[in-house]
Amino acid sequence: MALLSNSPSCSQIIDSIQEHLPALYFTFSRGKTELLAEELSIEWDFLLPHEKKQVNSIISQAELLQPGLFGSRRQRLKEIITQGIAYHHAGLPPALKDLVERLYENRLIFVLFCTETFAVGVNFPAAATIFDSCRKWDGREFRGLINREFFQMAGRAGRRGFDPVGMVYLRIDKRFPEQTGFYNESLVEPVRGRLTISPNTVLSLLYWKTDNEINRLLDQNLAVYQNNKEGRRIRLELIEIKEALSGIGSVFCDQLDTAYCYMFRSNLKKEFRSLSRKNQRLRIGTKERKEEIRNLLKRPQKKCHHRPCSEAKRKINELTEKKLRLERRIRTLGNHSRDYERDFNGVWDLLENLSYVDGRELSARGIFALHLHVQEILVTEMVFNGLIRDGQPALVAAILAGVDFVPGRDDYVVPCPHDLREVETLCRSLIRSGMPETMCVWSSLPGALASAWYQGCTFEELQAMTNFQEGDIFSVIRREIDLLRQIERAAGKDIELVSQIEHIRLKLDRDEIAVPGI
Amino acid sequence: MTKKEKVKQIIKKRPLRTPAEIISPVREIKLDSFQENAINYLENGDNVLVAAPTGTGKTLIAERIIEKVLAVGKGIVYTSPIKALSNQKYRDFSVLFGKDKVGLITGDVSLNERALLLVMTTEIFRNWCFANPEMMDNISHVIFDELHFLDDRERGTAWEESIIFAPVHIKILGLSATVPNIKELASWISEVRQQPVEVIIEKSRAVPLELNWITPEGDVLNESEAEDFITQFSEKRKGRTESSFTSGSGFSAKGK
Repeated sequence: MALLSNSPSCSQIIDSIQEHLPALYFTFSRGKTELLAEELSIEWDFLLPHEKKQVNSIISQAELLQPGLFGSRRQRLKEIITQGIAYHHAGLPPALKDLVERLYENRLIFVLFCTETFAVGVNFPAAATIFDSCRKWDGREFRGLINREFFQMAGRAGRRGFDPVGMVYLRIDKRFPEQTGFYNESLVEPVRGRLTISPNTVLSLLYWKTDNEINRLLDQNLAVYQNNKEGRRIRLELIEIKEALSGIGSVFCDQLDTAYCYMFRSNLKKEFRSLSRKNQRLRIGTKERKEEIRNLLKRPQKKCHHRPCSEAKRKINELTEKKLRLERRIRTLGNHSRDYERDFNGVWDLLENLSYVDGRELSARGIFALHLHVQEILVTEMVFNGLIRDGQPALVAAILAGVDFVPGRDDYVVPCPHDLREVETLCRSLIRSGMPETMCVWSSLPGALASAWYQGCTFEELQAMTNFQEGDIFSVIRREIDLLRQIERAAGKDIELVSQIEHIRLKLDRDEIAVPGI
Repeated sequence: MTKKEKVKQIIKKRPLRTPAEIISPVREIKLDSFQENAINYLENGDNVLVAAPTGTGKTLIAERIIEKVLAVGKGIVYTSPIKALSNQKYRDFSVLFGKDKVGLITGDVSLNERALLLVMTTEIFRNWCFANPEMMDNISHVIFDELHFLDDRERGTAWEESIIFAPVHIKILGLSATVPNIKELASWISEVRQQPVEVIIEKSRAVPLELNWITPEGDVLNESEAEDFITQFSEKRKGRTESSFTSGSGFSAKGK
């Protein structure tokens, strides 16, 4: 396999920090955790013979519980684990993630290559954390880690009662030295309110909450609270500025802005000089203005200490500028707090147009969507136009797998055996009738997987149909199970629909797709 | 093991370490003062926000309050930001408090829903706050783990709606990583829920961190050395790429 031509290489890094193991080695790509683990395993072996025995027995126990645990795809992982090296990311099947976590807790893994998720929640402390890079794809763009993210991960270094300090290492990449991260824990970013108004939120508010409660969400959410607070602070500052401005004015004499005043004269002189420049000289009116200035300057200058006046003038300009900036900010904040009401009304209007609500009354569609939490309008429409109720179960499994699924650039799944054009037509007509595209997210791509899994194929067979990693196949089907449960709840007393959906769900929730260990 | 494999193993590098250094994770018996304070406030019936670095023992506060709530026969909800974490917590709590005491409710799994201690995703708790507040009459506390997820673009909404609409008799324990505006969050919650909220801040890490940088040659530098190194390195590199356009990848060879 191709080695990464990284400099420093992970082997070099481990060489430099070998007194501080075990280490968590963070990267922001799944593929890279695997490549780096592979690379390190060529030169390094961390386990002593009796530890290898321990690892092997833990592995065989796990394989007893789940035959084919490593599958065909993870045989290399099985080998390198016996050298005290492993990787951990969301693409791994959950049972393997569990195994790696268990080995790590038993101190049988010395270098674990992992992604950010390993640092959320459960605490797996290490002697050192290493950052391969400090830039990640956040779903929109590549960006540097913020302080909060960095310390969430870095802070895994240092085992309580064991390491005097937690060692953190940031790699300076030979090719991109300028992208090296520098972080400061005293600069961790504040938490900001992020409330967004979804169709489900609006339906839930209209159905279950009073007007007062609705207003509480719209007027007292964290973003509004923070904006109001900032607004109050700015208003106080503006009052101070105003007072300061009126105080400063008393310095000036009543000849301010007349030809006797030093400051006025120096401005005139400046203007005169600029009018004398080549590009100004021939303009209409220049000649007359210059003559006027010359006459004004002929008057005598007042004899005074002009320094305090110039100081005051400068200060006034400064404060006025600040005042304008703050007033602009106040206007933006004001717009923001109105945003929530506008968003709420916008979604309410949309729901009214689609006949989900009539005023505050929810229609049958509205009540159905109340129980859905992902692509709620799209799924409700699928149910109400018969796609879900009347479809063959395998077809329904295929349709629902695609809800809210956004295919990656290189994702591949064999074509779906069912005709899914009706769903595409539905999406198009919803968008034509004014639904935002973000509320109509559906893809035909994972359909074949769900359909095959419903029909009882093996996990190996699923893997042969796609380039998805095991963990991705798992989460596609688990997400569908989640959605099916929502639809069951929404169907309520509609026994036919409930039994159709329950039947599909039970067929999907089996073997490798079942949640391990609970 | 074949001979060839043996040879291959012997030439592999090994770290400098002593063979057996097994440390079993000790459950601390003695509480730190910030943990003590948090628990006292909770026992007084207050809402509490705790901001502390990872590894300082926020979980212990959660476990203690769960113990106390269960002891008086009340219910308590523990919410976590990710499903995998909910599953993990369910397993941990089952060991700690007994399997019959713990339930798990995520979007796709639902176990022992009538248990006194319920592990949920925040989204499920949010849904309950809308749809079945009456099911939470016996619940005295909700724990929001990783409260700073409020700031999450996609999912923060679930935390906000939960905080705003959780039934008033339910007290909140919010556990957060270090954030500078934890007091602001507390006064917001206090305003929107019309109840006092106590704040506990633990600044120091249980184990302090030391940041280092590693150069392409594998040298370990501190911050100022790293800054100097990067400035010099970038300049050198710029100079070189300008003067030796034709040498291609010759740079790495010359670097040594």
